[in-house]
Amino acid sequence: MGALAIKNVTKSFGDTHILKGIDIEIDSGQFLILVGPSGCGKSTLMNIIAGLEAPTTGEVHIGDRMVNNIAPKDRDIAMVFQSYALYPTMNVRQNIAFGMETRGVPKKEQEEIIARVAKMLQMDHLLDRKPSQLSGGQRQRVAMGRALARDPILFLFDEPLSNLDAKLRVEMRTEIKQLHHRLKTTIVYVTHDQIEAMTLGDKIAVMKDGVIQQFGSPQEIYEQPANLFVASFIGSPSMNFIPCHLAEQAGQIGVSLQSEGEARFVPLPNAAKLAGQVGKKVILGLRPEQFDAVENSENSLACKVHLTEPTGPDTMVLTQLNGIEICARLHPRDAKGPGETVRLKPDMTKAVVFDAETETRLA
Amino acid sequence: MPKFWRGVVYSALLLAALYYLLPLYVMVITSVKTMDQIRAGNLLSFPTSISFDAWSKAWSSACTGVECGGLKPFFWNSVRMVIPAVLISTSLGALNGYILSKWRFPHSELTFALILFGVFIPFQVVLLPMAQTLGWFGIARSVTGLVFVHCVFGLASTTLFFRNYYVGIPDELIKAARLDGAGFWRIFFRIVLPMSTPIVMVVLIWQFTQIWNDFLFGVVFSSGDSQPITVGLNNLANTSTTVKEYNVDMSAALIAALPTILVYVFAGKYFVRGLTAGAVKG
Repeated sequence: MGALAIKNVTKSFGDTHILKGIDIEIDSGQFLILVGPSGCGKSTLMNIIAGLEAPTTGEVHIGDRMVNNIAPKDRDIAMVFQSYALYPTMNVRQNIAFGMETRGVPKKEQEEIIARVAKMLQMDHLLDRKPSQLSGGQRQRVAMGRALARDPILFLFDEPLSNLDAKLRVEMRTEIKQLHHRLKTTIVYVTHDQIEAMTLGDKIAVMKDGVIQQFGSPQEIYEQPANLFVASFIGSPSMNFIPCHLAEQAGQIGVSLQSEGEARFVPLPNAAKLAGQVGKKVILGLRPEQFDAVENSENSLACKVHLTEPTGPDTMVLTQLNGIEICARLHPRDAKGPGETVRLKPDMTKAVVFDAETETRLA
Repeated sequence: MPKFWRGVVYSALLLAALYYLLPLYVMVITSVKTMDQIRAGNLLSFPTSISFDAWSKAWSSACTGVECGGLKPFFWNSVRMVIPAVLISTSLGALNGYILSKWRFPHSELTFALILFGVFIPFQVVLLPMAQTLGWFGIARSVTGLVFVHCVFGLASTTLFFRNYYVGIPDELIKAARLDGAGFWRIFFRIVLPMSTPIVMVVLIWQFTQIWNDFLFGVVFSSGDSQPITVGLNNLANTSTTVKEYNVDMSAALIAALPTILVYVFAGKYFVRGLTAGAVKG
């Protein structure tokens, strides 16, 4: 049995169904990300894992125990909250000690643990300060210290970086990942930020409307999104979705791409999965980095540049394909200015195809 | 702002302050005058010599009806009433507010709305049923009875104050404490109550003023040796002897008002701070 298993968990308030049957299982030491837009039920699921809310149906297993009827404090978990939830009237030392005090950890052991945690997070000098005397990053650190002092079998992080500024967020992200490498404790991490999801997770559960849309490794989710929602949610800038019809030409199944009055048939990989569906309306998904600027090639299309967004290493070029605005990530040297024409060659080996009606991936 | 208008504003404020302070001035100077001075001078004239005889008479020997023991026994009745009543109603209000904001139960909002109703009920309406209740409990016409009445009727406003303050405390704090293994009482005493100083001060002052200054319940639900100071003051001022002793009346009124004035002087800054301190910054 894994470190955490969620079995067919649902949560309803009257006729409002927040979670509609969640199944997740991860191994010990894994970093699980619950990601999705606000209102998708990820925080509710987190509260159910923590025991702060009860599931309507289903089971939660932590370690080898079914914990549905076990109080939060006895689940051997520790949680870091978005607002840090530091006790404002206690100093840092007391904040960290509070949980140990309630659990009856001997005073001497408490002090050892506080010293160890403070050293690990480099916050020795903050121990006697009140939360109001700390910066956002320091509060975040203390909140993590409080969780670490618990030495649990499962860490829960509820959007812990959302209240930090952009620079600090990236630093703390790295720090959390390093911490995980060092401790090898199982972590469940809730976020709405797809970059945090990609950079931190061993496993990602993408949620929407109380349903897990896809559960897999970051790379799987990025390269083989299960449906249109996952494809659009993960990746920045977002994947380009080009509506087209499946066609057959010279024995190959592909789609027709048009730009500036020029149409070109491009064959699709995984054609076997698409056999017999010629003529079907589909959506071709191409990530911005799957475009190359070329001088002249038979599989390229001339596209008029509408706008460029240089990011430094790459330049985002906004143009049109099949009448839809698309974004291509090009090397700055290849990017043309607005109004000029660039020849784009799509890398079809990683292209994905979605059913235009059901929005699930066909190939 | 031009200097002229600033002058106008300050003059207006000064005038208003004088207007409000005038009665206090009259009371204080009258209380230290002798009856001869009062008869000789006018209401606003400064005393020629200062005498505290009227104060000591009001405190210990003025007649309040047939008794002539001054306000002293009434004052101590009020003290014996106000301290337990304030402490009990504040404690219960804090507990109610904590439960209604952080341990919601089915229909807790409705419960709160019903409690809130108590703030708007005119007290005259409940005089008769309350008299009957006090009789059943066997605490009619006693200080204990008054404490009970003030606790019951203070509860609505103390609950309202605490509940609205605690709504501003983030729920995540409670969740964090629950994960840390703390239960209902430990969270209340270790996390919530230490954050409550401003609102505790507000409610203490509020309740003290309300209960100390109450006349209606005092006059209805007490008699003889359980009457509070407001009733004593009324009796003292209404007991007619041959001459009306204005200096004694004024001294008595000041004695009755002194505790609330002192509470404002020493704790007033918490009152203003507590009323303006809404959300708790994490």
